[in-house]
Amino acid sequence: MSNSIAILAAAGSRKTEHIVESALATDGRVLIATYTNENRCQIVRRIEQKVGAMPPNITVMGWFSFLIAQCAKPYQRALTKEPLLIRGLNFKGQRNRFTKKEEARRYFLDAQADFFRDAVSDFVVCLNNKTSGAVIGRLERVFTHIFVDEVQDLAGYDLDVLELLIRSKIALTVVGDPRQCTLTTNTGARHKKYRGAALADWLSERADVCRLETRTESYRCNQALCDFADAIFPAMPRTTSVGVPATDHDGVFEIKPAEVHAYVARYSPVDVLRHDRTVDTMGLPAVNIGIAKGSTLDRVLIFPTKPMLAYLKDRNPAKLKAPERLYVAVTRARFSVAFVVPPVR
Amino acid sequence: MIEKVAVRNYRLFRTLDLAFSPGMNILVGANDTGKSTLIEAITLALTGRLHARPLIQELSPYLINLNATRDYVAKLQAGTSPPPTPPELIVEVFLRGSNETEILRGTNNLAGEDACGLRLQATLSPDFYAEYQAFVAEPANVKLVPTEYYRVDWVGFSGNAVTARSVPAAASVIDSTAMRLQPGVDFHLQQIIRTHLEPRERVELSRQYRSLREEFSEKPAVKKINKRLEGDSADLSDRHLSLSIDLSQRNTWESGLVAHLDEIPFPFIGKGEQNTLKTLLAIDRRTEDVHIVLIEEPEIHLSFASLRRLLPRIEAACGDKQVIVATHSTYVLNKLGLQNLVLLGEGGSTTRITDVPADTVEYFKKLAGFDTLRLVLAAGAILVEGPSDELVVQRAYRDTRGKLPIDDGIDVISVGLSHKRFLDLAVRLNRRAWVVTDNDGKTLEQIRERFAPYLDSPVVSLHVGADPSVKTLEAQIVAANDLATLNRVLVRDYQSAEEALASMLSDKTGTALSIFESEHSITMPAYIQSVVHEQ
Repeated sequence: MSNSIAILAAAGSRKTEHIVESALATDGRVLIATYTNENRCQIVRRIEQKVGAMPPNITVMGWFSFLIAQCAKPYQRALTKEPLLIRGLNFKGQRNRFTKKEEARRYFLDAQADFFRDAVSDFVVCLNNKTSGAVIGRLERVFTHIFVDEVQDLAGYDLDVLELLIRSKIALTVVGDPRQCTLTTNTGARHKKYRGAALADWLSERADVCRLETRTESYRCNQALCDFADAIFPAMPRTTSVGVPATDHDGVFEIKPAEVHAYVARYSPVDVLRHDRTVDTMGLPAVNIGIAKGSTLDRVLIFPTKPMLAYLKDRNPAKLKAPERLYVAVTRARFSVAFVVPPVR
Repeated sequence: MIEKVAVRNYRLFRTLDLAFSPGMNILVGANDTGKSTLIEAITLALTGRLHARPLIQELSPYLINLNATRDYVAKLQAGTSPPPTPPELIVEVFLRGSNETEILRGTNNLAGEDACGLRLQATLSPDFYAEYQAFVAEPANVKLVPTEYYRVDWVGFSGNAVTARSVPAAASVIDSTAMRLQPGVDFHLQQIIRTHLEPRERVELSRQYRSLREEFSEKPAVKKINKRLEGDSADLSDRHLSLSIDLSQRNTWESGLVAHLDEIPFPFIGKGEQNTLKTLLAIDRRTEDVHIVLIEEPEIHLSFASLRRLLPRIEAACGDKQVIVATHSTYVLNKLGLQNLVLLGEGGSTTRITDVPADTVEYFKKLAGFDTLRLVLAAGAILVEGPSDELVVQRAYRDTRGKLPIDDGIDVISVGLSHKRFLDLAVRLNRRAWVVTDNDGKTLEQIRERFAPYLDSPVVSLHVGADPSVKTLEAQIVAANDLATLNRVLVRDYQSAEEALASMLSDKTGTALSIFESEHSITMPAYIQSVVHEQ
């Protein structure tokens, strides 16, 4: 009987809520790992809201912290030949591409003994092989249950680590939405074909060892928003809205730049989303789409990119360069999404 | 529980690797072999603190092993290339794997062993690279290790930093010997009491104490005084002066409350009672963590009767905790069980014996007055029956070698008829033991048979009068000397050997004392000579 579960769920299906509740109901040491700091903080906040303070048996960690502190460091000397060498993470640096993997010290670590970003999970997999499974063996003794949130962000050797966890004695729950893959832990070539939405394929290939569940209810978005978002990924199952109250302004809208200020004033509060800081939001405070992931907003105003505008015209998903970003932006809202569409010249 | 300890370059330990038993461990050793230092080192690794302060604040060149310092300075001054790395101070405590300790598992330890444990290290900090280079540029001026350029890391074998709260092991240290010079608060007692209380109880005490202080300033009399002060201070300043109890964090219940025993403040009760109480509080401490009780010289300040009451409590605590006791008392050693002996020798050498036969352990528990510790600490021991043998053997030794056996580290111990019990210990400790005994009319064969199993050991030798008709020490002495010599040495005027023997037997100790103190020597019986002529 497999003790691993992968839950692929639509936006607003209370993924994080599920993790928080399961973690609080677990005896023994629990680890919750997620890639982004924002999400890690959000999980901590949710737990604190529920029970007042973080219970001592629960640890919430960033995915890289988990890999470095709990997987790489304990047995590091097997590859680095030195104890207590590894410091942390070098997020930006790249290794010299002529370095051979046999030179572990230089291949995985920079001069300050910080990991190259692409090297962390690679190191963990190599280390586990080298130590005949000591890395996973240790995790089995330490943790009863490991949760991985936003699993769609994992890529490359991360998937090999995930595979080791799936096949370990530890109860594993991974939760995510392949449609929301706006970030990736690393850019290595390994498992490239499973990146993004294709993670669902990787998981279904392992359905014999990791039970696959899908959640198609959204407790956040009304049906009109669900339908719009579903259309971006026609291959994925349809989403049903549950219990979202109706308002006087529901659904997806297009407005002209001249109408923006009046619109915001009329439907306040309206949160403004943009691609990045180079976008002119007409003086309105705005948040990058990538950062908005995980949050729930009532009404959203989006300054779209060119590909998004093209999509709005003929609804052909192939025109979208980054469908996940549009999906994330639309599914933040509970009631309404408005796109700022400049008039055609 | 602590499975073993590894120490490098800490005070008098250049290298120490020592295993511990799950329950009781009794540390013995001569002075300056590091009993206290070992307890200090274990505390350091478990708490990250030395003298109740973080190591980084207490770090000084004098904590680094002297020989390691000398080697370092010598290499530096000899100009070796590359320049030597200054000695690293490392203390590692290996803990038995359990749910709580598994998070500390890894191979980041000296042995590279896959184990759960903690490591405290002080090493040269790369942050001070430039300063250090400047420092070693003038090797002639280097006398000590530059610990000001060190950093302290407290980590698990997992390679991750730990904090006092995250360490799943609790250490209670009871140090009866430490001097408490600071007036007022006994921080040591406080620490013991604080850890004895449950978190809920601590919070409640803190809350009650705070409200008590707040009430104080609300009392009418206090208010009245403050009112007056307010008026007086108007001349000095335009602010208000008033008196109130210190409400700042620093001033907590821990410094404001004093333990009382029968209404007497703790510092005013006898030292012995204080120690007993501290010990009992510590061993009764309830905790879910791995609990290790470290007791330094429990015998200090205690009367024999109090010690006898305390020791069974310490022993009972071993059921669910590990106890490490350092002692100079043979009584403590015998009572707590010789099978738990850990002997510290010169330069960090250690001997642990765990296989003393149970009946011998019980024997010394019941007859705890026997000086087993003297055998343990001596280079060798001459085991004699009683005080007269003790004196005569010492005299024989001095006649031959010009000094007393103790000057060579050899102890002469009166063991009555308990030779074999002592030999159980000597064989296991690899101590040279000379068994000196009367033949009491038995043949050499008969006596050899009595000691048979021990005589196979290379460290044991038997010394006994060969002629069964000469039964006792006194008879042997009479047989070996003419009457004139005996009369000269004993300052008597015996007319016959028979008269001399009868008189000597009636006052054995007096006779032996006269022989020991006389300016003239006697001819020692051959079996005693065989003891002192050896080597």
